[in-house]
Formats: sequence, C-alpha cells, structure tokens
Amino acid sequence: MHKAIEENPKIKNTLERINNVARIGIWELNLTTKDYTLDKITSDILDLKNRNKINLKETITLFKDKVHRKNIKECMTNLINNGDSFDEEVALETITGKKIWARKIGLADKENGIITRVYGIFQEITEIKKTETQLHSVNSELKSIINSSAVSIVSIDKQGDVMQFNSGAEKLLGFSAEEVIGNLPPTSILLKDELASFSKEFASKFNKEHIQNFNPFYELGLQDIKDTREWTFRKKNGTLFPVELSLTPLKNDLDEYLGILGIFYDITDRKKAEAELLKKNQLLNYAEQITMMGNWSWNMISNEIIWSANMYNIFGRDPKILKKVTFDTYFNHIHPEDRKEVSNFIEITVKEDKFTDVLHRIVLEDGTTKTVHLLGELITNELGEPIEMIGTCQDVTQLRMAEIKFRGLLESAPDAMLIVDEEGTIQISNKQAEKLFGYPSIDLKNKPVELLIPEKFMHTYKSNNNNFFTNIKTSETEKSKELYALHKNGEKIPIQISLSPLETEEGLLISVAIRDITEQKHSEYKILKAKERLEVLTDNLLNKNRQLADFAHITSHNLRAPVSNLNSLLGFYNSATDEEDKAEIFGKFEIVIGHLTETLDTLVEALKTSNGAPTELKKLNFEDILNKTKEILTGEIEATNATIISDFSLVDSVLYSKLYLESIFLNLMSNALKYKSPDRDPVIELKTTLIKNRITLTVKDNGLGIDLEKHGHKLFGLNKVFHRHPQAKGIGLFMTKVQIESLGGTISAKSQVNEGTTFIVTLN
Amino acid sequence: MKNHFNVCIIDDDDIYQFTIVKTIKALGLAKKIMVFSDGEEAKDFMLDNIKNNYELPDVIFLDNNMPIMDGFQFMEEYTKFKPQLDKKITVYMVSSSVDPVDIERANNVSEINGYIIKPIKPGQLKSIIENLNA
Repeated sequence: MHKAIEENPKIKNTLERINNVARIGIWELNLTTKDYTLDKITSDILDLKNRNKINLKETITLFKDKVHRKNIKECMTNLINNGDSFDEEVALETITGKKIWARKIGLADKENGIITRVYGIFQEITEIKKTETQLHSVNSELKSIINSSAVSIVSIDKQGDVMQFNSGAEKLLGFSAEEVIGNLPPTSILLKDELASFSKEFASKFNKEHIQNFNPFYELGLQDIKDTREWTFRKKNGTLFPVELSLTPLKNDLDEYLGILGIFYDITDRKKAEAELLKKNQLLNYAEQITMMGNWSWNMISNEIIWSANMYNIFGRDPKILKKVTFDTYFNHIHPEDRKEVSNFIEITVKEDKFTDVLHRIVLEDGTTKTVHLLGELITNELGEPIEMIGTCQDVTQLRMAEIKFRGLLESAPDAMLIVDEEGTIQISNKQAEKLFGYPSIDLKNKPVELLIPEKFMHTYKSNNNNFFTNIKTSETEKSKELYALHKNGEKIPIQISLSPLETEEGLLISVAIRDITEQKHSEYKILKAKERLEVLTDNLLNKNRQLADFAHITSHNLRAPVSNLNSLLGFYNSATDEEDKAEIFGKFEIVIGHLTETLDTLVEALKTSNGAPTELKKLNFEDILNKTKEILTGEIEATNATIISDFSLVDSVLYSKLYLESIFLNLMSNALKYKSPDRDPVIELKTTLIKNRITLTVKDNGLGIDLEKHGHKLFGLNKVFHRHPQAKGIGLFMTKVQIESLGGTISAKSQVNEGTTFIVTLN
Repeated sequence: MKNHFNVCIIDDDDIYQFTIVKTIKALGLAKKIMVFSDGEEAKDFMLDNIKNNYELPDVIFLDNNMPIMDGFQFMEEYTKFKPQLDKKITVYMVSSSVDPVDIERANNVSEINGYIIKPIKPGQLKSIIENLNA
C-alpha cells in the first residue's frame, strides 16, 4: 500500500490534501542516528519552522507532563526494541511554547525478526480534545445535577412507569430509587383533590370527557405542553409539603413521545417567606390605614404609578375601577389652587435630585377636600437621570385642621408667641411675634431662639430652661421671667417671658409667650421717679413740720409764758395802790422783758439758721477749731482744772461752716465744763471718725450726766435745763442742734448719771 | 370756812409764782400757800408729809414745763404714792402751752382734774377753790 501511494502521484496529492486538512503528518525514525525525519505537517504541528529533522531526545522534552513523557518514552522504547506498535493521545508543548494535544501512532517494519524501519503518524487533536473536554464537563455537570439532592427529578415513560428517580427525589419523598424505578409512581404522593382538579383542567382544555382513565400527564406529552405549578406532595411517612413541579414531555429525534420528565423542589421556605411577606403586607396595609398613609411609586419613564391599597382609600378611588394610575390621575386630584405649587415642587425635585416634602390639598370625586403630606425619594439610573420616584402620601386633613385651630389660637394670643423645641430652635411663631421682633415668620422658622433673646441674657434663660426641663413635672405651672429681647433693628425691648411645656409626638416643645413690657417699664420708671420725688418732698415737709412743731412748742412755752406773766403783772400794776408795790412789780416787768428779749433773739437766730441761710463752707481743721475754743474757755478750763484730750488722726478736717463748727465746739465743751461732777476734775475727750462714710465728732465728758430716760425727749429743746445750775439757760444745745441739722447732720447723746455724757455729732 | 385750804403751786417761773401767790393772798382763798420750783421738790415734800394731812395740800396747781421733773413726770410719781394718802387732793395742770398735744396728754391722766391755760384769771381761781367744798 505504501509503495502504491508513492507510486501514484495523483493519489499521493489527494492524500496530502486530506492530511493537511485533518492535520495528519508522518514521521520516520532513523534507527542509527535516532533522528526523526518529519514531513511538513508534523513539522508545522510542532512549530519547527520547516525543519524536517529532530532528534528523539529533543522530542522527549516537549512532553511537559511527566505521565505523558514516561508513557511516550516506554512506547518508543518498545517500538524500537520489540516492534510493538502504539496509538497514543498525548499533551505536549511545541518549541514555541504552544500547548497542544496530539495523536501519535508508531509502527515498525520487521525483516527476519529484525526491526528495519520505525515510522508513524502524528496528528494534532487539540480542537477535538477541547470539544471532548467540554462535552465531558457538561456531562459531568448534568450528572451532578441529576444526582444532586437539591433538585428532584423523576421521569416516567409513556406507559407511566418510573424511569428515573434521582437522589434529590429520594431524599425529598423518602422512597428509594429501587422501590419505584420500573413501577408506577406511588399514588400516595399526590393529593386526590389536586390531581382531580388538574385532570379536570386539562380535560376541559382539550375538550376531553373527564373520564376515569383520562391521564392528564399522558395528554400533556401528547400535546407537547410544559406545565409548571405548585403541588402538595406527600412523603412516604405521610408528611405534606409544597413543591413547585415542572413537567416537560420527553421526545426522541423523530419527535415521538417517549415520556415525561418532572423536576420539582421543596418550596416550604419560599411559601413561608411568601406567607410572611403577605402578613407583612397586610400589616403595612393595616398600618397605612391607621396612619392614614399610603405609598406609591412612579415610574417616570412609563409614567405608570403604583398605589398601595390605602392610597386608593385616601383618594376615594376603587382599585377595581381605576386600573391604571398615571401622573395625570394624581395631578387631577390636586386642588386647583395648589397645582402650580406642586408642579414647581416636582420640577425642583427633579432638577436638584432631592425630594423633600410638600403639603397640598386634594379634591376627591365627591368634592371632599383633604390635605395630604407627600414624602418621597428620587431614584436615578447610572447616568444620574431620574427614572423613578417612590414615597408616601399621608392624609393629614385632621392634623391640618388641628394645626389650623392651633394657629388660630396662637394668632389670637395677645402676646408674641414662639414654639421652640428642646434645642431652642423656633418652630412656629405668630403675627405678634413678627410685629414685636420685626422678622417675618418664615425668617424665624428653624432659627435659634438666641436670635431674639441675646447672648447676654441667655444664661438666665438657659439656666431657667435647664431647670425647666429637668423639673418638667414640678414646673408645669407657668414660669415668668423678665428679660430683654432684641428687635431686628437692634433695639432692646424689655420683655416678660412665660414658658410652658407642650408634650407632642415629636417630643417636648415649649411655648414661649413674650410680652413687651416697655410701657410697663416706662410707667414703672415714672412711678419710681415720682415716688423718689415724693419721698424728698415728704422729707422736706416732715422737716418743715418738725420745725413748725418745734416753733409752736417754743411759742407756746417760751413766748406765751412771759406774755401771760406780763399780763398778770400788768393787772397787779394797775390795781396796785402804793408806789412800793408798783416799783416791785415794775422790777418784775424788767425781768420778764429781759427773758422775752433773749428768747426772741434766740428764736430769730434759730429761724435764720434753720431756713438755710446759706453759710459759706470752708475746709476746716479740727485742731484749729479746738485751739480757738480752748482760748475762749481758758478761764473755765483753768478754774475747773480740766483735761482736754483730742484725737483727730482719722479725720483731721471737714468742709463746714466756720461759725457753726466753732459754736458746736464751744457749746459742747462749755456744757461739759459747766455740768462737771463736783467729785472729780473734768476730762473732755474729742475724737473724729468716719461712720458710714460720714464725718462724726464725739465729745465725751466725765461730768454729772443726764437721766436720758426722763429728759431725753427734751434734751435739745429751747430753754430746757436739767440741772439746778445757776448758769443753766437751755439755749446752747437747742442752737447746736439747729445749726447741725441745717447742714444736714444729726446730734445724739449717750449718758449715765454721775458718769458722764457723750455727744455724737454727725457733721455731714 | 373760806380759807381753810392748803394751796400748792408747782412752777419754775418766778414771775408766775409771784403773781399767783399775790392773787390768792388778795382773794384770801388759802389757809396756807406752798410754792415749789419743780416737781421733785414738791414730791419730796409730800413724801415727807405723807400722813400729815394738815401739811398736805388740798389743791395743786401744777406747771407742765419745768426743769428736773416736769408736770407729767411729777404725776407719774404722784400716782405711785397716791394710795398712801388719806387726803383728797385735787390737781390742776396749769400751763402756758396751747398745744393740743399737751392738753390731750393731760386729759389722759385720770389724776389730773383739769387743764388751765395761763394766765389764770382771779375769778377762775376763786371758783376752783370755792368748788373744792362741794
């Protein structure tokens, strides 16, 4: 044959062409040199670039896989030594590194038991191998599916006998494959009712009389119908469970019906999840009904809107009648006055890619108006284009009504009202607040209350607030606090604040009633001023009154007494007959007139002084005044052997009338000397101090003392004397007091009989 | 019967003393006239003669405005020792003060039988003393 090919070039050509297509090459091994001679195809397969010679050893290295290398080595050794032919599929790498599969056939010629020639065929089978591998993997996948327990597979032939019953089916149903294969499937698996209704359905579908031996599965195969539905299966142990069963007719190449394949799986969990979902959906529906809320989704591309059940309720539509909801359905329900606002809102939502919320009215078909609160979210595709909106819609008519009522209440309040949250952020404000603070309501919303109650006063406010929150139970009664508020124009307004808590679903809110008390403050100020003026006036009047009383007293006692004496004396004088009597009476006249003159002089001086005849005030040094007084009293001081101690170190001078201060010193010191104790030499102590910021002079003696309980009330009266003393005339202290008081000072005394007296003079 | 009364004058005013004594004497109204310059002197005298009805006055003309012990202070003392007295003594307060405060104050002292504003007229003096009999 070999020879014949070589000899016939036509055949040879044809063969070569076939070889080329089938990638079949030939090789021969030189037994002496162990070099292969390769034809062009073999050389190509091995990427030898037209080399037609390659050493046996070199080819061995091409077999990268150890097993394959070992195998081909053995094959070649046996061929060369024993002439054993071989036909092997091997994996190898060409010299350029290409991974290929090849079929190598080795043959040997023998002559007289001696191997004379070794040659063979080399075919590339990479593609075939690849297909084979793929087929193999598909096969094994299929096998693994059929054998898997996740899917249950049962096939039935056209007689109704079970052909296949995989491990999944075994596991699920509890029957073993041996038990069922070749037999009719156990009738206990299907529920009679379900089977009956399935039969009935198919019988009516194909207009077959529903007869006892109508087999729906057979019919299914005949009609070439696939059916997938839920069934309830019964396990061998009697347990029922839901499955999804797909029935597919099996046919051969000639389209002949062979049987039916059933694939099913346990859908207990799915059913459970479905039931759960259903329950949740019911709950949602229920919740939506309670909250008067519905949910919607708007496919903006198809303009289809899906409404939840309660959306239909809210809009008073029947889902059975209104099958398709579009944007127009919704839009037509919007109150005509609110349409523009809603359109704008949607436009902004799409533009800014952000859905906030909007409140608008809707009109139902029966004319009812409702207020709804629309909340939503915008869904965009990868390009950022809006494709869908989803959201909720709540019927807030009642809330709105309540809010309107609340607003009405708020607006009718006489005070400015703010509703703030716990953070102090303004939620609602009324018209009066706008007026009081100068901001429009919109500008106040969501602003901190500090805007209106400036920082300076916030401490009080905050501490109030803290207290308020922590003791919310105890401070539920209104709390009032006077504060200042800031008008938009920066003006400070005195205000009074009442806080009261509002428990709401959104948390605790505080209503703040703010009253402008500018007028009140103003009036208060005026009243205060008037009161101050009145007090001054009253003081003045009291002073005048006291002076008048003093004066009345003086006229009563000091002027009337001598006058009545004069009258009496005049009576005697007139009735007196002898000259001696007349002369005596006349002498009395002189005494009385002398007294009267002295009293009048004192009075005139006192009136001048107390009427505030302006006296020149000078800075006077106490030491100087004392020295001058001592000079005047030199005689008395020496006669009484008096000691005079002075301490003007704390206050050494005073702004005062020189005449008065000299008179005060003279009167107090001469009194101290005049009413000295007969038992001891007089000691006079003078001291200046500051008492309550007023310069105070104390003059202390160790003289007779005065019983102040008895005489205290007339100590500083005119012509009051407390001692049977020849020089007591009762003018000194009276004048001293008048002088001191005329310059706004006071004088008082402390005394113990036989111990001494201390006069305390507050100079200014 | 006319002049068996002891009349007591308590007043620091010399001229008044002179005129009233002269008047009483001229009218012959008293058995005896005693004159004290202040309350304390009179009180001391009365305490010294507390049981001596012969020396004690029947009527006292008491000035209000006096040094040492004034009329009201004297009345306080008088009220204290009055229970020891066995003699009815009539007290008139005699003052130059027309101050209603003084008059009111005198009226509030139950032991003071009347308030006479100076100068006391002879006729007034006479009728007072004559009425002591009644």
